[in-house]
Amino acid sequence: MKFLRSSALTLAVGYISLGLAALALFAAPLWYAWHVTIQEGRNETLQSDALRLTEVFRREGAPGLVSYIDTRIGMQIAGERQLLLADAALKPLAGNLAAWPANVPAEPGTYTVRLNLGSGLTDVAVVHATLPGGYHLLVARDTARYAPLERRFWYALAGAVAILSVLGAFGGILIRRALMTRIHGIRQTVSAIIQGDLSHRLLTHQSGDELNTLSQTINGMLDQIEKLVHGIRNVSNSIAHDLRTPLAELRSRLEELALTRPAAEQTFAEIDAAVADVDRVIRIFNALLRLAEIDSGLRRSGFVSVDVAAVAAAAVEFYQPAAELRGSNLLLQISGPAPIRGDPVLLAQALGNLIDNALKYTPDDSTIVVAVRGNADSGSVEMVVADSGAGIPEAQKLKAVERFFRGDASRCTPGVGLGLSLVDAVARLHGSELRLEDNHPGLRARIVLTQDTPQITRAARANIEEGEFHHEPVYP
Amino acid sequence: MKVLLVEDNERVTQFVVKGLQEAGHTADHAGNGRDGMFLAASEPYDVIIMDRMLPGEIDGLAIIEALRKSGKRTPILILSALSEVDERIRGLRAGGDDYLTKPFAFGELLARIDALTRRAQGENAQTKLEVADLRVDLLTRKVTRGNRSLTLQPREFKLLEYMMRHADQVVTRTMLLENVWDYHFDPQTNVVDVHISKLRQKIDADFERPLLRTVRNAGYTLTSHD
Repeated sequence: MKFLRSSALTLAVGYISLGLAALALFAAPLWYAWHVTIQEGRNETLQSDALRLTEVFRREGAPGLVSYIDTRIGMQIAGERQLLLADAALKPLAGNLAAWPANVPAEPGTYTVRLNLGSGLTDVAVVHATLPGGYHLLVARDTARYAPLERRFWYALAGAVAILSVLGAFGGILIRRALMTRIHGIRQTVSAIIQGDLSHRLLTHQSGDELNTLSQTINGMLDQIEKLVHGIRNVSNSIAHDLRTPLAELRSRLEELALTRPAAEQTFAEIDAAVADVDRVIRIFNALLRLAEIDSGLRRSGFVSVDVAAVAAAAVEFYQPAAELRGSNLLLQISGPAPIRGDPVLLAQALGNLIDNALKYTPDDSTIVVAVRGNADSGSVEMVVADSGAGIPEAQKLKAVERFFRGDASRCTPGVGLGLSLVDAVARLHGSELRLEDNHPGLRARIVLTQDTPQITRAARANIEEGEFHHEPVYP
Repeated sequence: MKVLLVEDNERVTQFVVKGLQEAGHTADHAGNGRDGMFLAASEPYDVIIMDRMLPGEIDGLAIIEALRKSGKRTPILILSALSEVDERIRGLRAGGDDYLTKPFAFGELLARIDALTRRAQGENAQTKLEVADLRVDLLTRKVTRGNRSLTLQPREFKLLEYMMRHADQVVTRTMLLENVWDYHFDPQTNVVDVHISKLRQKIDADFERPLLRTVRNAGYTLTSHD
């Protein structure tokens, strides 16, 4: 039953049917042509025979024909040809048939009838000719002569069908066996993966057959899944770690409060501090939710026409007092038109994060440049925030956009390590990516936005092709 | 002020009702959609605080839509754990007037419902705003205090206008971000405070009586009262 359901059997049956059909298509016309040729040849011989006898009759009259027929029969090999001359009343005058066969039509012509030629009924081809004076002439020949040949043809055909079927069935079994062996291997590997060991991979070899290609594709998928799972694990660890710190502070604060029961005023101050701790935790969650929201790509449906220059101007204006307070210079440089399709709120937030970072990580009295350069020809808009601070070491640039990454420079500054992740997520939502370059000294954060937003970004595609995993969406 | 709270979480309910009472308001409470719908439709409230996910078939948005269809114009503040921008837009489209995400600070909630009831009283038609001796002419965009004319940047003007419209109320940093800058996100730093202190420099520094005051753990208020 199992075999009947297998696709290998379906395949084998299909091939066998196809072979049989081809055989039938080949044999049928052959058989027809052969049949017709034999019949026609036979009839022609009989007709020429009849013609010759008629000629004899014309020359020598009935007695001459009678003696001619008698001579012919005497010479003939028994049963090969039947001749009969009869008078108008169908009374036999000469020939090797005892009586005029009743089933030969009265009209002259060529027929095939069943006659008893002494050894039972057989198909006989007859030519019935009428002679002057009401005489009837019958020339007949047994067709059974070709029966063995015909039989042999059928036997051969049946033999071919049998061989084809056996070979097909055998081939089906072999193919199925080969398939089952490999599918079994795949199933074992997949079972191991289901059990939780993501390091297993399907066996592949050099040949480029379909199953091998499929295995390679599945292996690629498994690589990606393994990386995603690792990513989730890492991020979960980071979340847990980053939340533990404020929660630990909160816990000790509350516990201390319960133990020491200080004066009301100090209690309230401690409670305020506890609320601030909780706010920190909430802030981390909000940032994560925001990232997840951006990564889901849903925001793309709300894209509108945005003037990046206006967004940048508003952001610079927003941060200007903060920069002034530190004695820093926050400059805005705009060149060219900068229209793109995007989410103005997210672009503002991304730009805000970059400016905020620049303010945080540069010494006071330094200059921060926010530049927006529109390129009307290529339809792209370059958004740059450049500072002259400590920058990010080359080795850490790739890691800097990872969630919860905090560079050495940021250890003692407030923040949760999600700022650049968010900027990168916003850039990717807009079909771009965040590039961190050296500003000699300082950091140049650059995003090149294009007017038409591709669905899969260059960065994301590169990640898929190289199997790199840095910042793919991993949150549900 | 009479407030209806439709919320199924007991802890949140207790927290909000107590806070509202302490602030001098009366608060009714409904723990499921059906009761909430019934109370909102039958009683006159100044403002309704509506949770979105409620037990009992009817959810918060459905109640809001039904109320708006029946012509009720009561200001509604949606209080929800659904924080995505899309959810926020859905809430406001259904007929909500403001959207606050859980978890929230009570000061934020109180400031927002104060702002909502003020808005409902229709003060928007004014062209001149006045708090003590501080005057803002919205048409000529002139700002004077006493008999002295003050020069404000456009954004400072917008900030002051918003504070003046909500005079004697607490205005939170988030409210300022959303309404003055249209920034619906957390800018991580205290930039709003810096803007406020700059504005304060201009309107209060040279005067004996400060009008723009900081409310601890909540935000700011522009008031002539002590």
